[in-house]
Amino acid sequence: MTEANLLQKYASEVFAGLVAPVAELGISAAPAADALAKEDVLVRMERELKRALEKPASERRWVMVIDLRRCIGCHACTVACVAENKLPPGVVYRPVMTEEVGTYPNVTMKFLPRPCMQCEKSPCTEVCPVTATYHDEEGVVVVDYEQCIGCRACMAACPYGARTFDFGYTYTEQLPVFDGAIVGGENAAGYEHASQEYGEAWKREGRHESPVGNVRKCHFCLHRIKDGILPACTTTCIGRATYFGDANDPDSLVTELINKPNVIRLKEELGTEPRVYYIV
Amino acid sequence: MLKKISYAVGALALLFGLWGVYVRLFEGEQSANYGSYIGWGLWVAMYLFLAGLAAGAYMLAAFEYLFNVPQFKGTGKTMLWAALVTLPAGLASIGMDLGHIDRIWKVYLQPNFNSFLALMVWGYTIFLILIALSLYFAFKSPEKAAMKVVMWIGFVTSILVAGGVGFLLGGNAARLYWHVGLLPVQFPVFAIASGAGLMLLIVGWFMSNLEEKQRSDLLWTLAIVTIATSVAKLYFLVADYTQSLYGGVTDNLIAVNYVLNGPHAFMFWGVQIVLGLLIPVIVLAQPKLAKNGFIAGLMGLFLLIGYAAARILIVVPGQVAEMMPGQAEAFVGPKLTLAYTPSLMEWSVTSAVFGFAILGILIGMDYLLNRMPRSTEVKK
Repeated sequence: MTEANLLQKYASEVFAGLVAPVAELGISAAPAADALAKEDVLVRMERELKRALEKPASERRWVMVIDLRRCIGCHACTVACVAENKLPPGVVYRPVMTEEVGTYPNVTMKFLPRPCMQCEKSPCTEVCPVTATYHDEEGVVVVDYEQCIGCRACMAACPYGARTFDFGYTYTEQLPVFDGAIVGGENAAGYEHASQEYGEAWKREGRHESPVGNVRKCHFCLHRIKDGILPACTTTCIGRATYFGDANDPDSLVTELINKPNVIRLKEELGTEPRVYYIV
Repeated sequence: MLKKISYAVGALALLFGLWGVYVRLFEGEQSANYGSYIGWGLWVAMYLFLAGLAAGAYMLAAFEYLFNVPQFKGTGKTMLWAALVTLPAGLASIGMDLGHIDRIWKVYLQPNFNSFLALMVWGYTIFLILIALSLYFAFKSPEKAAMKVVMWIGFVTSILVAGGVGFLLGGNAARLYWHVGLLPVQFPVFAIASGAGLMLLIVGWFMSNLEEKQRSDLLWTLAIVTIATSVAKLYFLVADYTQSLYGGVTDNLIAVNYVLNGPHAFMFWGVQIVLGLLIPVIVLAQPKLAKNGFIAGLMGLFLLIGYAAARILIVVPGQVAEMMPGQAEAFVGPKLTLAYTPSLMEWSVTSAVFGFAILGILIGMDYLLNRMPRSTEVKK
């Protein structure tokens, strides 16, 4: 039995009376088959990423595009980000804001994934008293953990609330400790893997060693990008709602997307020039 | 008696504070209640208060050394000393707030001068040096040109650093509650007002060595300064809040409602307005009461408590609005909350800071200033 027949069978028999048969809707299985044959956007973006990496860093302009129509609020990107960057409790780079809209019975949910906007005119970098947070060569706003004094001025200045402070929590610190049997807070550094942010291994050793006592934020997974791998949130998005690439490449997917009229950036009125775009 | 009680209060505050300082320095910041959404709390507010107090004390010292106001004669050194104590106390408060206090040297050796915070650190350091220099000249040669030059530079600096603190918050376009042009204008007025409160307390309770007539004239002058600045403060407050409420911008409404009706509304109505403004203004408007040392000192204390509360009510409400709708519920974890009440550890550290300031001022007055010849005596 072909896919077309299967689809027709289930649509008409199982859901009889609930949904119209496929044939009546004028739907055939052919487009579905086409879609399966189509290249996954991740493959295209990965190819474009490698192409961009062949250029000098200063000629790249990384942007992220998030299609809000496709976001289903599964929080997979948030979890992937936490796992990728080994974020401790209380530190989050990419939460998904959930908002209930309307009144019963016309109620729906709105989801807004919010990574760092990587603003070109970033208020957070301006206020840092020691230039611990700045734009790297590719324009991504980064944090030098060894330079940061932990004053949290950048956190106060960010209009998107995209920065959180590392208070030194670990996932294992509340666990009981028995000799040689189970892990406790003092063993967290050994059990909780080191974050590989910015290409360095950041172990959680004690409550005074960076990145504890620092402000932390999304950095577009620069450590993955340099190896030609897309950011964790992008590859994990099950709805393919997150796109990433070089906006200086006229043939890239992100360039195609951000030059459409239904694209917005958050709080544009503040003049921060975010590099994260939303399709609405 | 009052001095003994004050010494005891200072010592107890310092003693209680040592616990908080220990916890903060050795166990980190987890037992503080500020977090990632309300990142600046009690310690930042007390830094603003104490740094403003230092600027105000310096401005009042200028009344003797620059403007030669007769009632202020013989008080300049005390106010300079108070500034020299309260400024480091304020800097200690902000220092405890830093995630990496051990890296503070970077602000001096690797500063970003585009950052207003870096400029303020430099500004306060220069101001501290100017206070110390002024005090040195006040002992050494108060009548010489060098003293006048230093005092003029210090006086202008005190206005700039006080206003600069206002800009530190006001320049922040992301926080509408702070982002008002009036903020940098208000802060120098707040500084001199809190300086007057401190002087009422010091002169009223501890400076009985002043000639009786001069003392009562001085207290009356300070009462007038207090009433004028309190009225100005009230005007700023009413203008600011009515404008916010009338404008109706969501973030502003949230912040102003937090102050007026929020969980800490008592801090505004009870402490800032009634205790810190209405009672002192009503009492100090009566010449007989204003000239009474004990009552004037008590009103000075009320004023200081009111101004400290006002600082908290500037710093915290500016952060209570979500930066993005749904932010507070989007991700659950420690310190990811828009509620803030200082923890016991935070109060303890603040207690240490104030204990240090109280003892510092008293010890300086008793053992340093009284051993040196007063400027009036030098003149003789």
